[in-house]
Amino acid sequence: MSLAAGFSGTARRLRQLHEDPAVVARWQAWTGPLLSRLTPPRRRALLALGALYVVVRRPLKEMAPAVDVRAPAGPLAGALVVLLCLVVVAAVYLAARRFASLPATVRRRPQLWLHGGFWAIVVLGWLVPDSGSVVALALSGLVLALAFLLWRMGYLLLSGQRGRMAGTRFSDHLLYLYPAYGGSGVPYGKGLDHLARHEATSEETLARSQLAGLKLLALAAIYHGLLALMAGLVYAESRGPWSVYGLRVPRVEALLPLGARAPWATAWSALYAGLVWDVLKLAARGHEVIGVLRLFGFNVFRNTYKPLLAPSLVEFWNRYYYYFKEMLVDFFFFPTYVRCFRGRPALRMLAATLAAAEFGNLYYHIVFNDTFLLTLDLAGLRPWLEARAFYCLLLGLGVYVSMRREQQRRGAAAAATPASMPTRIRRIAGVWTFLALIGIWADASSATFGQRVEFFVSLFGLR
Amino acid sequence: MRQRHRERVLDFLRTIQKPDRPLDTVAETDSLVESGLIDSRALLEIVAFLEEQYRIDFAAVGLEPEQLTSVSGILDLIEREAR
Repeated sequence: MSLAAGFSGTARRLRQLHEDPAVVARWQAWTGPLLSRLTPPRRRALLALGALYVVVRRPLKEMAPAVDVRAPAGPLAGALVVLLCLVVVAAVYLAARRFASLPATVRRRPQLWLHGGFWAIVVLGWLVPDSGSVVALALSGLVLALAFLLWRMGYLLLSGQRGRMAGTRFSDHLLYLYPAYGGSGVPYGKGLDHLARHEATSEETLARSQLAGLKLLALAAIYHGLLALMAGLVYAESRGPWSVYGLRVPRVEALLPLGARAPWATAWSALYAGLVWDVLKLAARGHEVIGVLRLFGFNVFRNTYKPLLAPSLVEFWNRYYYYFKEMLVDFFFFPTYVRCFRGRPALRMLAATLAAAEFGNLYYHIVFNDTFLLTLDLAGLRPWLEARAFYCLLLGLGVYVSMRREQQRRGAAAAATPASMPTRIRRIAGVWTFLALIGIWADASSATFGQRVEFFVSLFGLR
Repeated sequence: MRQRHRERVLDFLRTIQKPDRPLDTVAETDSLVESGLIDSRALLEIVAFLEEQYRIDFAAVGLEPEQLTSVSGILDLIEREAR
């Protein structure tokens, strides 16, 4: 056996370690008493206990920008926000439980009502004078804390709509509403329906799930190491002794305000390095969250899976930020797909893709724009909104074209033979380049829309 | 009746499946996506097929992707909702 074949075999075994019956059996033997005690109800109870901490911690953390804007903060405002969040969550839980008895208009569009309620609170916050009072601060804190809970409550309502609430308790739903396993505004692991479908029910499946979780946590540690290396060797930021050898590639956000004055080779390097950095960072964070979930027996899909090897844009989108993509698909793509242009397949697909990748994506980011939510600063929102909307439009169109091409490939006889290596590399490079380029309008930078356009055209030698 | 629907569904799945995974190797209750037979985007084609062939109105009944990821799930949906 050649060295390469041996290495490849070892790598494959390492990748599939959690599926190796001998390893699973050994893990069961080591952790036997623990595994037998960690029954599904007990694991859920542990996460629910963790959620009780998050019930208090998360709203206080989310309201921090409000404290900056409407100081001084006090324990009363904090307590009010925590309590009000719980009241809203309990109300949505009751609505989901009694979904069938809700008014027909709410049952038809429950998500619209949920978001309508959220925006009603936002508007109320705009109307209350910025007096620095406890009420004003609590209202602002509530807005920011609800932004975190919004999409999770969406999954709760979806459970009610699908008739999946029977047999579930409030504490079960607290798991993902206030996730002790971490996460962002995007609900990693989705809601209880999805988590329950992937929940380990035997000691063996729990052992597999835990091994898969440990693997993800180890990968997360490796990615953090790679990020530190990259920060030193590529960006020459002072994170380690190797920084002195760094290439000093600037961050994209620092280059964008230069517009056409950005050096050509530096600009291209910064774009590709930025893409790799973003992927590594998201993968490291996602692996930590999903790794912990798997340790608790919820063997759900990982958030990021080799997106830099994706041969198409739609495949990249599927692998890069899985739970964000799923959220957009669940709340924007499918609702549009089943309602609009049913007789016109191409237009139907375009409408649904734009609803998710453009409108949904943009809307999600508006909901997390703290300054706008608190102050209705439209002038401040505009430059960011213009760039972000353009990015989302390009992304949506790109995903649509990619989906259509994949559909055609699927139907073609050529699909029977896998793509050659050069073709595959060309496709991957195309995906990298497209994403690096549209990222010009997604980057959090003070650059104006015009400066971003100038930067873009200068990449092709046009000034 | 279920058998007839089954034949029709399997015939359709053969037109959208990945070429390297024979349909016969996937059990009726297996996830078509997780078994690698189809990718998640092919679900849209299953939706279009069910709307066209069985007049299922997903806007009214709600689209639950998990229902459509196994042959048995699709057949259950047809029996429940076909008009």
